[in-house]
Amino acid sequence: MPVDIEKNILLFLLISVGLIALPHIYHIPASTFGFFALLLAWRFIGIWKPSCLPGKFLLFLLTVGGLVLLYSQHQGLFGRDAGTRLFMTALALKLLEIKQERDLYLIVFLAFIVAASQFLYEQSIAMAGYILFVCCVLLGTLVAINSRRQNTLNALKTAAVILAQALPLAIVLFVFFPRVEAPRWMLFEDKSRAKTGLSDSMEPGSISDLSFSDELVFRVRFQGQIPPNRLRYWRGPVFSVTDGKRWTAAKHYTYTAAAEPDFSEPAYRYTLLLEPQNNNWVFALEMAGDYPPQLRMNSEYLLTRSGNPDKRAEYPITSYPSYRTGTLEAHKLRTNTQLPGPTSQKITSLVKRLGGFDKRPEQFVDRVLQHFNQENFSYTLTPPLMENNPIETFLFETRSGFCSHYAAAFTYLMRVANIPARVVTGYHGGVLNPVGNFLEIRQADAHAWTEVWLKNRGWVRVDPTAAVAPERIEQNVNIEQQIASRNISFFSADSDLARQLDWLKQARQLWSSVDYNWQRWVINYHSANQTQFLASLGIESLKQMLFWLIGLGALFTAILSWLLLSRKEKTADKVLRCYRRFCARLGKAGLKRKAGEGPIDFAKRSKEAYPDQAAAIDEITGLFIKLRYQKESSQADLNRLSERVDRLKIRRR
Amino acid sequence: MQNPIAPLLDSANRIILGKQHQIRLALCCLLARGHLLIEDIPGVGKTTLAHTLAKLLGLNYQRIQFTSDILPSDIIGASIFDPEDRSFKFHPGPIFNQMILADEINRSTPKAQSALLEAMEEQQVTVEGKTYRLPSPFFVIATQNPAHQIGTFPLPESQLDRFLMRIELGYPDRNAERELLSGQSRYHLIENLKTELPPEPLKNIQQQVNTVHVSSALLDYMQNIITFTREFPDYPCGLSPRAGLSLLNAAKAWAFMDSRDAVLPEDVQAVLPAVAGHRLRSASQDSAAVVAPILERVNVL
Amino acid sequence: MNTLSLKDRFRLSRFFAGEKPSDEAILLNQRRIFILPSKRGLSFVVLILLLLLIAFVYNNNLAYFLTFLLASVFFIGILHSYKALAGLLIRKGQCKPVFAGERAVFQIHIDNPTPVPRPSLEIDLYDKTQTTLEPYEKKTARLYAPTEHRGHQTCGTITLSSGYPLGLFRAWSPLRFNLSVLVYPKPWPQEIPFPETGGGSSDQGKTEKGTDDFYGLQEYQRGDSIKRIHWKAYAKGQGLFSKQYSGEQGDELWLHYEASAGYGNEERLSRLCRWVLDAEKAGLRYGLKLPGQKIGLGIGPAHLTQCLEALALF
Repeated sequence: MPVDIEKNILLFLLISVGLIALPHIYHIPASTFGFFALLLAWRFIGIWKPSCLPGKFLLFLLTVGGLVLLYSQHQGLFGRDAGTRLFMTALALKLLEIKQERDLYLIVFLAFIVAASQFLYEQSIAMAGYILFVCCVLLGTLVAINSRRQNTLNALKTAAVILAQALPLAIVLFVFFPRVEAPRWMLFEDKSRAKTGLSDSMEPGSISDLSFSDELVFRVRFQGQIPPNRLRYWRGPVFSVTDGKRWTAAKHYTYTAAAEPDFSEPAYRYTLLLEPQNNNWVFALEMAGDYPPQLRMNSEYLLTRSGNPDKRAEYPITSYPSYRTGTLEAHKLRTNTQLPGPTSQKITSLVKRLGGFDKRPEQFVDRVLQHFNQENFSYTLTPPLMENNPIETFLFETRSGFCSHYAAAFTYLMRVANIPARVVTGYHGGVLNPVGNFLEIRQADAHAWTEVWLKNRGWVRVDPTAAVAPERIEQNVNIEQQIASRNISFFSADSDLARQLDWLKQARQLWSSVDYNWQRWVINYHSANQTQFLASLGIESLKQMLFWLIGLGALFTAILSWLLLSRKEKTADKVLRCYRRFCARLGKAGLKRKAGEGPIDFAKRSKEAYPDQAAAIDEITGLFIKLRYQKESSQADLNRLSERVDRLKIRRR
Repeated sequence: MQNPIAPLLDSANRIILGKQHQIRLALCCLLARGHLLIEDIPGVGKTTLAHTLAKLLGLNYQRIQFTSDILPSDIIGASIFDPEDRSFKFHPGPIFNQMILADEINRSTPKAQSALLEAMEEQQVTVEGKTYRLPSPFFVIATQNPAHQIGTFPLPESQLDRFLMRIELGYPDRNAERELLSGQSRYHLIENLKTELPPEPLKNIQQQVNTVHVSSALLDYMQNIITFTREFPDYPCGLSPRAGLSLLNAAKAWAFMDSRDAVLPEDVQAVLPAVAGHRLRSASQDSAAVVAPILERVNVL
Repeated sequence: MNTLSLKDRFRLSRFFAGEKPSDEAILLNQRRIFILPSKRGLSFVVLILLLLLIAFVYNNNLAYFLTFLLASVFFIGILHSYKALAGLLIRKGQCKPVFAGERAVFQIHIDNPTPVPRPSLEIDLYDKTQTTLEPYEKKTARLYAPTEHRGHQTCGTITLSSGYPLGLFRAWSPLRFNLSVLVYPKPWPQEIPFPETGGGSSDQGKTEKGTDDFYGLQEYQRGDSIKRIHWKAYAKGQGLFSKQYSGEQGDELWLHYEASAGYGNEERLSRLCRWVLDAEKAGLRYGLKLPGQKIGLGIGPAHLTQCLEALALF
C-alpha cells in the first residue's frame, strides 16, 4: 500500500543523498556521476510534480541503461571502484521508486554504504567530519519519518543528540575491536589502480600528505647477524631524470647489467620473503652481492625478477654494506648531472655559499647536510603543497617535508655543484619480530635517499633526512611516534625563531600536528598499532581486549541510561522545592503528606504529631502560602523559608 | 479588619442550630452572587434558613411554594387587561423580590421550573416582548425534595448547573435538637432579628470578593481538578467551564469569609462538595462522597 | 499489582496480553515496556555487517569507525525507544453503551507528565490510532471496537507502541483495563407495530381520565385533541398550545417478552429493543415485562436506559 510521504521528508532525504554522493565526483567516471545527478535532479522535480516521475517501463529502461553503463566500464562487480559505482547506480535508481516508507529506509541504508565508500578514497579529517555531518542528516531523515511532528529541524537535533551519545561507545569499539588483516583473497583490488607504496616516479612537491599503510611489503630472515638499523637500506627504483618537479628512472639503460662493485666484509646472508607486489622490484639490502639466477640486477643495482609480481616469492640473498663501485661512464655522468634548466640565482648563491664550486665534493656534501641540520629545516609527513618550482620553495620557504623532499633537494644541489647524484627509493629499517626472529618491512617504512658519485669511492649513499631526523635512521624507532610524543622538535635548537612565529604559522603547525595524529592514531590504527597501543595500556591478550571492550561498553551504556532515563522531574519552582523538602523531612519521620492535602491541613496534622515544632511548622506553612498563593512576596521570604526548612529538626516518633 | 460577616454568622447560628458549615456555605454562595439549592426532606429547616438569611441581610423576601399546578405566570407575573386604561398592564409576580425562596421546586412541572431558572440566569424577565429587570441583589434559594419521593419532577442536569451550590441540611444533632425542642419558636426569633448587613455593604463585599487574589499555582490546582473530573470514569461528564468559574468564585468568597486576601487550596476543597457535587452526575447522591476521589487524588502541590 | 511472582513475570503472555486488568492509572516503566528490533532494525544489522565487511576487506579505519558509530546508534536506539514510552501515565476513561453492531468507543487518557515530547505513539485496539504528545500534555484517545453480541463487552488488550526515534526498534506496552461497554441488543431492523396490550382500552383512558387538574401547556403536536387547544394563547398570537392535565397518563404500553412468540430469544430481545426505542420516540409511557423481571411504566432517558440495560443483560 503506497503511503503518502511528507514532502519535507523527501526533500530532506534527497538533500542528504546529494550531499553524501557529492565527493564521489572526483572518484567515479563522469558518466556514472552524471547518471546519478540526472536521476537525483529528476526526483527533486518529482517532489513538486509527481506526474513527471517515470513509470514502470521507463524505470526498467533506466535500470537497463544504468547496468549497461556499469558494464561498459568493464569493472565487474567487485572491488572498490566497481562497488562504488554499483551502489551509486542502485541508489539513483531507487530514488525514482519511492512508494513506501520501506523504500526510504532502503535509500538511507544505501546512502550509508555510499558514505562508507567515500572513506575508501579519502580519509582526511575534513572528509570524516563531512561524512559525520551527512550521517547526522541521514539519521535525521529516519527521525523525521518516525516522528509525526512536522519539524525537520527538531528531527535533525534529535539525530545529532543520538550521534553524540553514540560517539563514546563507537570510540570504545574502535579502540578495542580486534583488527585482523583481511586474507589476500578477499581483496578485490582493481588491476588498474596503483597500490600504495613505491611507484616508478617521485614528485615530492605535489603530495601534501603521506599516509602510511601498515601493509606488509616483505619479511627478511637473517642467517646469523642482523645489521644495525642505520645499515638497513632496502634498495628500490632509482631516479636520475628530473624535470624540476618529477623524478623518473633513466629508461634507456635500466635493464643493462651493471658492473659488479667490489665488496668487502661483513656479509649478511638472508632470505627475502616478498609479499605480492605491483612491480617486479626485489628490495635487497644494499648492496646485493649474491642472488639467485632468476633475479637480475640492472645498472642501478636494483634487483628485478621476471614473472608475476602478484605472487609471494622467496629469495636467498647475500649483501655487503661496504662496497665500492667503479668509474662512471660518460653518458651516466651526463644523466646524473642533468638539470631541468638554468639554475636560479638563489640556488646558485646557496651552493656557492656552501662551497659547491670551490670545495671538494666530500666537504660540500657535509656542508649541505650541516645546512639542513642547522637551519630550521623540519621533518613532517604533512608538508604544504609546492606547486611551482618545488625545490626552491622547499629550500627557501617551507623548509619542511619528508624524505622525498630532502632527497630531491639534496640531489639537485649536488648536481648544481656538478657532482653526479641521484635519488634512490626503497625501504628503510623494519621492525624485528621477536617471535619469528625476522624483520617486517611495511609500506610505512618507505624511504628515499640519495647517492653521490665520488671519485675513488664510486656511488656513495647519503641520507639527507638523517640530517634532520637522525632518529629515524640511527635508532630503530618509529619516527612518527617520535613526532607524536614531541621528542623531535619541528625546529632545530634555535627556539628564538619559534617564538617569533606569528599565530598563523603556529596555527598551521598545530593543524599539521593534529593531522599527523589523525593519520597516526586513526587512519593507521591497524593490527600492529593496536597491539602496541593496547599493550602500553597493559592489555595483551585477545581475551583481555574483549573483556575491556565489553566492560567499557557496559560502563558507557550504564552512564548513558542513567543520564537518559533517570531524569528526575526537577521543579523549576524554588518555593515548591523548599516545601517539598519540608514535606520530605516530615515524611521521613513518618508523617506523609497525602496528595490531596493542602498546606494548612497538613500543618494542622503535623502540629498534632509534633507539638514541639508547632511554631516552626506554622512559620514554614505561612511563608509557603505567602510565596505560593498570595499576591506579594519577596526574595527575603523565600530565603527565610529555605532557612527555616533547613533548620527544622524532626525527631522520629 | 473586623470581618463584617462574623456577626451575621453568629446571629444565624443562634437561629439554626448546629448547622454552622451549611450556613457558612449558604452565605458564601450569596457573596459569590450565586443561587443556592437545598436538597433535603421537608422539615429540617430549609425555609428557616432562607428566611433567616433574608432577614439578616435586610432583603425583600418572598416565598414561592411550587406545586404541580403552578404556572410560569404565577412566578413571573402576567399582563392583565386594565379596563380603565383599556390596555394590558404588567403585574410583576413574586419573582420581583431580592430573595426568593422557591420551595419544593421539583414539585412543579418543568415548564414552571424553567421559567424561574431562566429568570435566575439572566437577572431579568421578558413578558410579551417587554423586558423587566429583576432587583439587585437577586438571590434564589430553591429547595428540593429528594428525588425518590413520589410526584416529583427532578431538575434536569442542565438546570442544576444554574445553582452555584447544592447543600444538604440533614438532621440536627442531639444537642441542637434538644435546644430546638426546648427553646422559643423559631418564627418569633426570626421576626425579632435585626439587619446585620444591608444591601449596600453587601454589594461592597461582593465586589471585594472579586478582588481576592488567585495565584497561578492555585489555578493549576483548579485546572487539575477540572481535568480530573473529565477523565475519571465514574463521572459521566466532567465539570463544564462554567462550573470551573463557579468553583473559583465560591472559593474566592470562602477565602474572603476567612479574612484572607488570597485563595488557598483548602478554600477550593471546602466549597468543592457543594459546588461540584450536583454537577458531576454521579451514581452517589451524597455530595461529599461524589467529590471524595477528587480530594483524595488530585495533588495540591 | 506489584507482587508478581517470578513465574508470572516471565510468562510469555505478559509480552502481548499485558498484566491483569487494572482500574488504576498505569505508569509505563521497565516492567511494562517491551522492546524488540523491528524488521527495519534487523536490516540495519545487516547493513552494519556489510559495512563491517567493507571496512575489513579494505582495512579502512574510517569505514570501521562509521560501522561502529552506526552500531552504537543502533544500540543506543534501545534506550531511546524505551524513552519514547517511559513515564507515560495511562488511565481508563469511560465508554457509553452502544447497540450491537455499532462500534463501541473506549476512551483512554494518556498523560505525559514528563518534559520529554512523544512525537510518535501508536495505540492499537482493533484499529491503529496514531498520536503525538507534547511535554506535559494530556490526550484522550478514542478507540473503536466492533460489537456483535449484547451484554458486557470488555475492552481487550490495548497496545501502546512507538518506533521513535529511528524506527529500528519497536517499544510496546500491552495494557489491560477493567473497561467494558454495555452492548444493547440490536434493534429489530424493520418497523413493527406495537404489540396488543391486554384489555388495552388506552384510548378511553386518555379521554376520560385526567381532565380535572390543569397542569400546564405543551406545544401543540399533531394528533392532540382540538378540545385541548389553548385558544386564548392562540388568539394572542403566541402559537398553538394544548392544555395538559395532571391526571393524564398518556398512552400506556406494556411490552411483553411473550409478545413475540415464535421467535428465538435473541430475536425477541431485538424486537423488544425496537419497541422500547419506538415507544420512547413516540412519547408513550411504557413498561417492560421479561420473565422474572418487570420494569414499571415510565418515560424519559433514565427509564429508557433502565429498559435497555435490562434487555442487554437478560
